[in-house]
Amino acid sequence: MSINQLIVRNLKKNIKNYYLYVFALVFSIALYFAFVTLQYDPEMDPATGSLRGEAAVRAASVLLIAIVTIFLLYANQLFMKRRSKEFGLFQLIGMTKGRIFRIVSIENFLLYTCSLAVGIFIGFAVSKLITMTLFRITGVESVAELNFSLQAFWQTLLVFAVIYGVISLINYFYLRKQSILSLFQVQTKTEDKVKKVSWFEIGYGILGIVLISAGYYVSGRMFSGDFASINGLFGTMLFILASVILGTYLFYKGSVRWAGHLLRKKKQGYLNVNEVLSLSSVLFRMKSNAFLLTVITTVSALAIGLLSLSYISYYSAEKSAERGVAADFAFTDEETATSFQENLDERQIGYETNQVDVLIFDVNVSNLITNDFEALTFDPTQMTMPVVSAKDTGAVDVAENEVVFTETNDIIKKLTGMKDSGEVVLEGENFNLPLEMTSMSDLSVINSAFSFGLPTAIVSEKTFSQISDGSDPSLQRPYDQHIGVEITDANQIEEANTIFKSLENDQYPQMSKLADERAQKQNMGLAMFIVGFLGLAFLVTSGCVLYFKQMDEGEDEKPSYEILRKLGFTKGDLLRGIQGKQAFNFGIPLLVGLLHSYFVVQSGWFLFGTELWTPMLIVMVIYTLLYSLFGILSFFYYRKLIHRAL
Amino acid sequence: MVILEANKLYKSYGNRFTKQDVLRGIDLTIEKGEFVSIMGASGSGKTTLLNVLSSIDRVSRGTVVIENTEMTGRKEKNLAEFRKNHLGFIFQEYNLLDTLTVKENILLPLSIVKIPKREALARFESLAEELGILDIADKYPNEISGGQKQRTSAARAFIHEPSIIFADEPTGALDSKSASDLLNKLSELNEKRSATIAMVTHDPVAASYCSRVIFIQDGRIYTQLNKGDQSRQAFFQDIMKTQGVLGGIQNEY
Repeated sequence: MSINQLIVRNLKKNIKNYYLYVFALVFSIALYFAFVTLQYDPEMDPATGSLRGEAAVRAASVLLIAIVTIFLLYANQLFMKRRSKEFGLFQLIGMTKGRIFRIVSIENFLLYTCSLAVGIFIGFAVSKLITMTLFRITGVESVAELNFSLQAFWQTLLVFAVIYGVISLINYFYLRKQSILSLFQVQTKTEDKVKKVSWFEIGYGILGIVLISAGYYVSGRMFSGDFASINGLFGTMLFILASVILGTYLFYKGSVRWAGHLLRKKKQGYLNVNEVLSLSSVLFRMKSNAFLLTVITTVSALAIGLLSLSYISYYSAEKSAERGVAADFAFTDEETATSFQENLDERQIGYETNQVDVLIFDVNVSNLITNDFEALTFDPTQMTMPVVSAKDTGAVDVAENEVVFTETNDIIKKLTGMKDSGEVVLEGENFNLPLEMTSMSDLSVINSAFSFGLPTAIVSEKTFSQISDGSDPSLQRPYDQHIGVEITDANQIEEANTIFKSLENDQYPQMSKLADERAQKQNMGLAMFIVGFLGLAFLVTSGCVLYFKQMDEGEDEKPSYEILRKLGFTKGDLLRGIQGKQAFNFGIPLLVGLLHSYFVVQSGWFLFGTELWTPMLIVMVIYTLLYSLFGILSFFYYRKLIHRAL
Repeated sequence: MVILEANKLYKSYGNRFTKQDVLRGIDLTIEKGEFVSIMGASGSGKTTLLNVLSSIDRVSRGTVVIENTEMTGRKEKNLAEFRKNHLGFIFQEYNLLDTLTVKENILLPLSIVKIPKREALARFESLAEELGILDIADKYPNEISGGQKQRTSAARAFIHEPSIIFADEPTGALDSKSASDLLNKLSELNEKRSATIAMVTHDPVAASYCSRVIFIQDGRIYTQLNKGDQSRQAFFQDIMKTQGVLGGIQNEY
């Protein structure tokens, strides 16, 4: 048989056996190609397109390459391990290592070429779907066209050629290192055996749990002001990351094993078949699995955390637009407002107006601030904030020497530890007026052109008229009133928005809630889309890695299934055990990952939006469902394996 | 009392065109407390016979009755249940589960029989004591020798007191010292517990420990030898002679 025949024959056999490796390849290529196609979509062009975010997409594509590479390296490693016996045999009959390497390389080359063709085709086919999804999420009204991007094609080709090179190099070193004997023994060699659990390991286990809890604890206190500087915050984040990841590793290595052994010891050797297939099999590999499980857990936690946070911002986009604009349309210039109203009258659009006078004062709020946060952009003794009269807002009741803060930004509130009440001093040009701040309100009173994210102060009508002459002229903005226009019939907002757009005015800021909301959605939508894409890639790769691992374990344990079936255990008996094993292998990293991500989200979600539970739970449920698919897949794989065992 | 009864067993592999008959009409009965060995050259069908007797494989024609229960034609799940409860196995490659300790391996068949833990542990202790593996109870299979593995495997076959134990070349992978150790233990257990054992072997020494030897050739029973009252040595000579006739080669001892 010539070497070419050998290659072709090997390839045929291997595609059948290792369809998963091929699947991994095709999937990675399709994913990457679709993503890069998107990157070159005309809508993404910064000059002509309506979506900004090329840099983000590019960064994401680099991250995608990293994920895909690690994934393929792992698949390749398993692939080589499975075939080590074959390589040993080739060497035994006198083939040189160089020659075997050539066979493997050519085989891989053919595999890569075929997969590239199929993968690019699939990626091309789904790219329209993906682009459509992106447009929908960001609210871009443009029809997604199916066009083959040559640039994307070349880039994909280049990336996978490099990955191919890396994998060939690794295979070369692998083959060179192995002797014939060790090649024969790769599969029978079991991991270092579980002996007794030593005190060391118990120590590890406890340390792991302590580290994780410490990370969680610190994450909960991160923004409470104990780490009051940007450097401090950064250091804290690093600490949390390190302690949680290390803790997770030790948790798997120590605690889980320890708990398992305790359970096993209690049985005094009297294990039933369920426990044989789940508990003992899991414990048998726990030491080497610890690393893999840690990686999977971290990746899942990262994916769920990022997805939750970005979904929180997307979900909250509407609300934050509301906060910034205070009415459907907001003007600061009376003339423009009047012409807008005339236009509305003409088209018979019903509306209500609300005019608020705004004064700007320096306010000494140092009494309210509990955290000494270095990075604040304002001086607490002189916080410049807009002041309005309670009469204009209509809804708030304020006594004469009191003041109510509204529209306080959550981030500022959290970072400064601002109290809900206390004494503040209003500093006019030539007077100081102490006032009692009684409460924080959520009311949207004026548009953000006045407040720039700082709170707005509402004082009583009387106080307002007292101070109206004494404000420092240098603090005032060129405009001093907010004119809000509220459209009565929500269906006509769109029409009103068109009128609004025609009344461009550079001199005075004016805002439309609808336009704001759209812009927010577009920004958040693109971010969410990219994060979602990466999250999906994370999910699929970690699922596939676990699935591969299970396949590998299954092959290793096949003799056990044969023995058990010969001894008379039914397929059902065995499958129940396998269920337990899958629940552990997939469930534990998922559970720990969910827990980790919960704490990540919990610690910083207010930086991203206003709504925590709904978006986070939606993300978690969807992630769990998709992830479980892989568990079910591997269960089916085991079922086939057990069925064939006898 | 008859434990196992096989009538006109036929077994063939392959499809219509590549059909190959392995068993061609074997009749066989095994009484309670017997230690029977089945001998034959390689390819004579002895392992196939053991597999169909023990319901691991299906017969093409014929019936197998174990303890008045008809085994042929029953559902796979049903058969598995029967094996689990009533049969014991010892294989050439030990077939121990790597992930379990010696003790766990031995106790495995008991996990489905509802007996109290204390009783199970007591059974384990006495059996492990007899087979000399009590001190390695907490070791994993890859930490013990081949002989120890095979004795573990034997203990697993005996622990649930099955109606009959099938042994497929149990000494095949052992050195002669470990092999004779194991056979001594097996025949001891056979006598003490009046366990029924059917063993396939090609080793005349192993066969000489039995009370009866059945020779198979080309899928048929060729002859049978009974040990009766003769010594093991004399029985061994008989077996050698028969094997010589069977294989066409005269062994000189």
